[in-house]
Amino acid sequence: MAPHSPAIDQIDTLLWIGFAAAVILGVAAIGGLLYALGRNRAERGAEPRQVTSGPGIQLRVGGALGIFAVALLVLSIVFTDRAREAPATGPAGLQTAHGEPLTIETTGQQWLWRYQYPNEAFSYYRLVVPVDTEVRLNLVSTDVVHTWDVPDLAAKTDAVPGKTHEIVFRADEEGTYFGQAATLSGQAYAAMRTAVEVVSPAEYEAFVETQKEEIQTAQDRVVKLIENGEVP
Amino acid sequence: MSAPTKSPELVVDGFPPRRPRWVQLATSADHKDLGRILIAGALGFLFMAVVELLLMRLQLAVPENTFMPPVTFNRMLSLYGATAIFLFALPLALGFFYYVAPLQIGARGTALPRLGQLGAWLFIGGAAVLYATFLFTPPEVGVNPLPPLSGLAYTANNGVDAWLAACGLATLGFVLIAVDLVATLRRLRAPGMAWRRLPVFSWAAAISAWLTIAIGAVMLAAITMLMIDRNFEGIFFAGDAGGSPLLWQHLSWIFYTGAYMLILIFALGAIAEIMPALARKPLFNRNAVIGSLVAIAVLGTLAWMQNMYTAPIGLGWMYFAMVMSLALIVPFGLVLFNLIATLTSGAVRMRAPLLFAAGAIVAIVIGLVSEMSHAMVAAGWRLQHTTDSTAATHFALVGGAVFGGFAALHWWFPKMTGRTMGETLARFSFWTMAIGILLAFVPLFLAGGGKDQVIDAYEFFGGNGLDAYNLIATIGAFVLAAGIFMTLANAILSREGGQPAGHDAWGADSLEWFALSPPEPHNFDLPPDVRSARPMRDIRAAITHRSAREEQPDRDRQPVV
Repeated sequence: MAPHSPAIDQIDTLLWIGFAAAVILGVAAIGGLLYALGRNRAERGAEPRQVTSGPGIQLRVGGALGIFAVALLVLSIVFTDRAREAPATGPAGLQTAHGEPLTIETTGQQWLWRYQYPNEAFSYYRLVVPVDTEVRLNLVSTDVVHTWDVPDLAAKTDAVPGKTHEIVFRADEEGTYFGQAATLSGQAYAAMRTAVEVVSPAEYEAFVETQKEEIQTAQDRVVKLIENGEVP
Repeated sequence: MSAPTKSPELVVDGFPPRRPRWVQLATSADHKDLGRILIAGALGFLFMAVVELLLMRLQLAVPENTFMPPVTFNRMLSLYGATAIFLFALPLALGFFYYVAPLQIGARGTALPRLGQLGAWLFIGGAAVLYATFLFTPPEVGVNPLPPLSGLAYTANNGVDAWLAACGLATLGFVLIAVDLVATLRRLRAPGMAWRRLPVFSWAAAISAWLTIAIGAVMLAAITMLMIDRNFEGIFFAGDAGGSPLLWQHLSWIFYTGAYMLILIFALGAIAEIMPALARKPLFNRNAVIGSLVAIAVLGTLAWMQNMYTAPIGLGWMYFAMVMSLALIVPFGLVLFNLIATLTSGAVRMRAPLLFAAGAIVAIVIGLVSEMSHAMVAAGWRLQHTTDSTAATHFALVGGAVFGGFAALHWWFPKMTGRTMGETLARFSFWTMAIGILLAFVPLFLAGGGKDQVIDAYEFFGGNGLDAYNLIATIGAFVLAAGIFMTLANAILSREGGQPAGHDAWGADSLEWFALSPPEPHNFDLPPDVRSARPMRDIRAAITHRSAREEQPDRDRQPVV
């Protein structure tokens, strides 16, 4: 899977490090066990040998494992910090005043995601963002805990009622990225999906304007219907 | 011996009539009877957990399946989680500790038998509450019922209350049993049974008992708070009214993470009895293994926030959890190193308990090395909440509680019943389970780690490359279930029909093999005198020595006391 954002690049590297570490430890432990089980079978006349263990070998084995753990810890911290670095808006991205990130208020609710753009336009399910731009999602929930998860773009993040949780990402390539909520939130949880459309800044501007106008038109129509008494 | 006629002072009424066996069992405060109740109950609920898992896997066999509606899936999921943890794994571990540890330390019973009895029956009561929900509404808010979803506003039925009552009763029972175990291990050790001579499994019992008291209290607090929130307008977990939904996550994860460690400590403790005995070697370095088990209990439980990397907590807390989690590499590694070193210098008899013990270690290792990536913060952001975590957790816990539990079952079955479990069926069962666990959970690693299939969802969508993985996992779950059912059947059949085992079935070094099989209610006629960490070996040597002196007349069968 090709990474499509700087953070995912770092996370992917760390995943491979974790996988390699798992293979090293797993092969050593399982290989050692199978070797030991196969080597000295009583039915082939093996006799137990008197081998005693002082603290020396325990310290050496424990020390080696400790060094391994510390190495993993350091690598994890390095790559986690890199994954958290705020990615700056690139030349192809949407240029905002003072270089502020594009902030989108994101609300999780049973069983939809709502995205509100800076110009008051909003959309459900579908998030449209400009390419090569630092995007910040301010994640909240109006009901239960939801997890926003678009694995190709950003780290999984919980929307918890009463708290605002931030996701910052930059999409490097245009396209549509799918995601699915990742914390059980009730009956329609499995259908709580989202799609992030990464488009050029011009298309993004056009989208939010059209969206705003359409919402305005729809709201005006509803207001008129109410005024005319056609709906209570 | 009836009809008193002549001299009243010589009247003998005989022994009081024996009560029916089930009355005997239901009113007994003997640790062996209660241990058998816990173990038998746990194995029964293993059956239920497997059935629930199979139903969920059937729903997930093909994309967008409509085998069951979402709410039924969520109910199966909740029942499965509560059954597997509260009604199977924990009572199985505590049942074995409660049965075996007093025998291993040469005690004639437990220190607080009525407390232990109450504990065992609270567990049965909790189980009854959970399964009574089939009469009204089963719980439907997942393995860990996170508020606000589990709050009254979003789940306004009795299922969650039943979950709370059931898990609360069972947890309270576990805490009472743990209190009895702590008191017994502190006060009732036989003369000479110093802590440095205590068998590793009894050490595991002591560590697990303390751990149960610590994490059980935390879970009981959380359960009480959620009960107050749901029924008495509490606001402990209400984010908009001064409480916090994160509080539940912290408290419940302390319990679940500690329980995870407890199950592994149980399995490793049992394996540390089985492997040396079947390799005819003392454990390579006892002290390192015991110290490592203590470290696992402490570090593992302190890593609870490893499950909250996606939650709004500070990065520093995540690093704290990661340090604790990665530090576990050292104690787990040392335990495995010592077990392998014991086998390497021994003479291995490949009997059923050793087979299951080896399978347990392989599965636990696969599970733990995968959990390692979940602990590395940024990698955890990707892997958690996917089926990769389902797979890792199941490898470690099925490895610990099912493979490890079956190793313990085969090992102590002769002591409990006087009969050995069928060796051929055990081998069939083991290899079926080994194939099953690989087929059932390796595809979930690939689906979760590679393709981001999310956890707990009642359906997945076609066209994402997930179809084959899920189909194989479903087939694998059925194979695994077949293997598990074979051992359950083996246990039932062998109770009456197994080969008579004798009192000293495996040639192990700990004192439970000095008692009869099954042991008398008072365990030992005389408390054994312990002179080393291998008391049964000393007893055997003393018997051999005494038989060699022909002029010695036959005496009591407990010659060293």
